[in-house]
Amino acid sequence: MENKKPLSPHIHIYKWHISSLVSISHRITGIINIIAITFICLLASLLIFGESNYDFINLFLSSLIGKFLILGLTWSFSFQILSEIRHLIMDLGYGFELRTTKITGLIVIFGSIILTVVFYLMGRNFF
Amino acid sequence: MVQINLPENSKISKGKYFKDKTGSKNLRKVNVYRWDPSSGENPRIDTYEVDMDNCPSKVLDILNKIKNEIDPTLTYRRSCAHGVCGSCAMNIDGKNGLACTSPHAEIDGDIDIYPLPHLKVKKDLIGDLDGLYKQYQSIEPWLKSNSKSETKEIIQSKDDRAKLDGAYECIMCACCSTSCPSYWWNGDKYLGPAVLLQAYRWIVDSRDEERAARLKKVADELKLYRCHTILNCTSACPKGLNPAKAIAEIKKMLATANI
Repeated sequence: MENKKPLSPHIHIYKWHISSLVSISHRITGIINIIAITFICLLASLLIFGESNYDFINLFLSSLIGKFLILGLTWSFSFQILSEIRHLIMDLGYGFELRTTKITGLIVIFGSIILTVVFYLMGRNFF
Repeated sequence: MVQINLPENSKISKGKYFKDKTGSKNLRKVNVYRWDPSSGENPRIDTYEVDMDNCPSKVLDILNKIKNEIDPTLTYRRSCAHGVCGSCAMNIDGKNGLACTSPHAEIDGDIDIYPLPHLKVKKDLIGDLDGLYKQYQSIEPWLKSNSKSETKEIIQSKDDRAKLDGAYECIMCACCSTSCPSYWWNGDKYLGPAVLLQAYRWIVDSRDEERAARLKKVADELKLYRCHTILNCTSACPKGLNPAKAIAEIKKMLATANI
């Protein structure tokens, strides 16, 4: 009888709000960043084996997938940085009022997009 | 462990549809989670058409109306109807809250009512909170004083008393704990926001003499540090309390050795 009791629905019915969205994105971007850093290290170590590899990397990064990767990773790093700062402030015990968490959450979301654009333009020698 | 999908016996099917019989023009559809332990069937969602012209303002009033006028088999907990007892905690429109203090006018569209999330369901909207109560017991929520004179009043300054504000008002309705994804995945070990808020309440009580022991007890990778400041708890609390901040304060006390 005990085991027959059903489990009430949870993540499928629970409404998302800014803080929970930022929290789950923080985790996802964290995992992406670890993979990305490994990937970047691998690309860099390819250079050790001769300059012909440079052309290969250049070709890859200028392709459509490469450009998407660059933009995506710029965003995920930007997001992680801002979100981590938000978490550090929270660890100090500040910013727990609902209104404040909403505002800081929005800063993280929109700030990450702005930072992505800024980093991308910096990479293109825009400034 | 993280288990996104519901177990086979918990999958929800479409249930009965109760058409309005009053002929009212002002109808609202109310979708309610139903499970009957005697039927042996999976849970289902029943839909009721409720006449809103003759219904008071809160979600609990809708449930009472359904039970009294449409379907007497509907089962849910309720008692005070004034947001004091915490019995009618449930998931309303995707967010945990007390049915008796949630106005239905603030909900757009159909009203979805589920039991508190990620609990073993006893019947319909009643979740099994035994685990949470055991955890509550584990933090020993009572004053511990080794002072000799037990007949004398323990004096507390106004400032020390003020530290309990925002913690003592908790009614243990479990809205916060059952809104917490960390508690969903690790509810057997992680204490959850409701219990940690109470742990905090006793840690900061100036009359209590077991502060260090209390802190030591919760300082555990699973019991305390599964809080990742998702803040579902604070946004769910029907009393406007802030369990996330209380947990952060406990972490801070431990990190700064403020014992």
